[in-house]
Amino acid sequence: MKYARVGASLAVIAVVASACSGSTASPAASAAASGAAGGAAINVKVGIELPMSGGEAPNGVPTANGVALAIDQVKVPGFNVTISQQDDAVNGVHNPQQGAKNMQTLANDPTVLFVVGPFNSNVGQAEIPVGNAAGLMQCSPANTYPGLTKEWGGVSPTTLRPTHPDKIAYVRVATTDDLQGAAGADIAFNIAKAKTAYVADDTQTYGKGLADVFATDFAKLGGTVAKRDSIPGSTTDFTSYVTALKSFNPDYVYYGGVTTSGIGLFRKQMAQQGLQTIPFGGGDGISDGSAATKSSFLQIAGPAGDQNTYSTVAATHDIPNPGALQAAYKAKFGTDPGAYSAAGYACTQVFLQALQAVAASAGSDLATLREAVRAYVADPSHSYDTVLGKFSFDANGDTTQHIISYYGYDATTQDWKFLQQRDFTAKPLF
Amino acid sequence: MTPATAPLGRVRLSAGRWNVAVGTIAALVAAYVIIDLGAGGEGQAQFINALTIGAIYALIALGYTMVYGIIELINFAHGDVFMVGSFVSWWLLTTLGFNGAITDPLLLGVVLAVGFVFSMGVMGIVGMVIERFAYRPLRSAPRLAPLITAIGVSFILQNLVQVGVSNSIVTTPQIIPNTTLHIGPISISAINLFIIVLAVVLMAALQLFIGRTRLGRAMRSTAIDRDAAQLMGVDINTTIALTFFIGSGLAGAAGVVQGLYFGVSVFTLGFYAGLFAFTAAVLGGIGNTTGAALGGFIIGFIQVIAAVYGYGVWSEVVVFTALVLVLVFRPTGILGQQLGERA
Repeated sequence: MKYARVGASLAVIAVVASACSGSTASPAASAAASGAAGGAAINVKVGIELPMSGGEAPNGVPTANGVALAIDQVKVPGFNVTISQQDDAVNGVHNPQQGAKNMQTLANDPTVLFVVGPFNSNVGQAEIPVGNAAGLMQCSPANTYPGLTKEWGGVSPTTLRPTHPDKIAYVRVATTDDLQGAAGADIAFNIAKAKTAYVADDTQTYGKGLADVFATDFAKLGGTVAKRDSIPGSTTDFTSYVTALKSFNPDYVYYGGVTTSGIGLFRKQMAQQGLQTIPFGGGDGISDGSAATKSSFLQIAGPAGDQNTYSTVAATHDIPNPGALQAAYKAKFGTDPGAYSAAGYACTQVFLQALQAVAASAGSDLATLREAVRAYVADPSHSYDTVLGKFSFDANGDTTQHIISYYGYDATTQDWKFLQQRDFTAKPLF
Repeated sequence: MTPATAPLGRVRLSAGRWNVAVGTIAALVAAYVIIDLGAGGEGQAQFINALTIGAIYALIALGYTMVYGIIELINFAHGDVFMVGSFVSWWLLTTLGFNGAITDPLLLGVVLAVGFVFSMGVMGIVGMVIERFAYRPLRSAPRLAPLITAIGVSFILQNLVQVGVSNSIVTTPQIIPNTTLHIGPISISAINLFIIVLAVVLMAALQLFIGRTRLGRAMRSTAIDRDAAQLMGVDINTTIALTFFIGSGLAGAAGVVQGLYFGVSVFTLGFYAGLFAFTAAVLGGIGNTTGAALGGFIIGFIQVIAAVYGYGVWSEVVVFTALVLVLVFRPTGILGQQLGERA
């Protein structure tokens, strides 16, 4: 009896679910056959591949919201665009294997023409070969590790594209860590006026790359790197590193990595040992929301640790029309946009503009459409008008917008406060 | 092995104990010198860091070793018992409305006492429930079955906390004020002193309990020979349940300490903590409570020494290399499985 009731309620759920999906996606095949010019719209999907759960939710959710908002607001005639949502967080932490698996799932769905994501560079490393093999274009709103698109550390990015080395299937609207690291060094040397720095990383692709660039550029600016450390991301007890840090007597601490690697804990333990007066900087991996945001860097570091902290975001802060995005985002989701919401929105705009451009020539065959979108976005001669401003992608798939935004902690709002942004094309550091 | 004729309660006063004591002091001095040489003037602080983290590992390791000693089960869920313990204390402290240091010493003492008794009690009961439903039905099954069950229980505990409590990091109120005490030439922060003293007191109490009480004797006799103990009138089920209660209670205490010291907890916490504590138990000689405590401190020192010399990224490699070396040259661990003393 009990089981029968459970079964009945499951059946109701199933009916409701199919009714919901029916309104958006079910007549895919017939609509595809009738074509854009005919009355019925072609059902296509944008895959969202971001870390959506656990400690990574402050990164993934606002970015995915940006995508959803763009899909809501921007329509392409003849197409009905919906979202296929994936989550690459396993046990609350981004996971490259899960990312590659999700990418394969998206590639196997013929209606998916484009993917927005991932958030983390090591996930990107795992996904690029999959997207390349499938010819499925993806746009990362937040990946900043340089080696994903260009030669870095003596490794060519074509090793990530074993199937079609010459066909790019990955672009990004975030600029790269060679600039973000430079921006970190700029903050340390010119804003915090530091002369010696302690530099650590979380041993991951992103964190190590960022810290390496910081160390190099900080030295080039005239600073001294007192100590270069690598601390595994599984660490919770940083006390011995913090105690060791004292003996180097640094004016600045730079930590390359993401909050889930324990960077907030490192800063908290600095404060416990009375070292909160030493300024502390990181990249966009710690720029994950205010002190009120669950699991954010600022919340974990605590009020004492939050003092004198800086972060950067590899995207423009002064977007052309911030008020409109802010208002629309708040109306739909009830919160302010996150650091990469606009980037998620822009990635989606890239897709929608490409789709519109190729719609007439590519017809209605989904495989042809997918390849047409890929080829259009991979072509460096095209440019896009987005919420981030007008930009194009170079031959590697990197954005031509080389802007880094600087943030510092503000005690009154208990949140990151925008300090300034620097266009490294117009104003290089060296 | 203890001669069968020796009265069980008096085993502890054998000459081996003094060797352990002398060896421990010598090792501590050596560790201090090694740390001080690399620490650039922060030797004392680093030594205290090592003792503190070692104390936490030791408290967790005791549960592994006690359970192994009595039913020869590597209880892989034990690290997660520790994690749940940290959530219990987080829940208690936030429910009571604390969000920072308590400056009134009397109130602080009361809250700490309540916090530890509550968390240890709750986790002790959780441990007993796990034993009753997950391990007791498999007590006569092949060794592999309860091991797999233990891994299953580990996942159940993790997922219960992930889904039911929080899927991300929670911040625990750090109620012990962040003050530094100066005792003669030693500067130590209140929290570090508290953790070290607490661990030593709990471990001493455990040794006394196992060595000097009736129930402790029942535990030791069950560990040596379950069937013989049963024939002598020891209630095996109660004794094993008691072992789980105490071992899990100590993990609960370590969970409270985790919250007080680091101020955070997360549902994945138990994995690494459990792995290191298990290593500590094996390093010291699994089944041997003194060995587990020793192993915990050794791992704390290895991690701190690795960090001090700038090889922090290798700390896990160093810990497990040490484990392999000890097992190659002394398969039963540093102190060996002293059957009469294991609990």
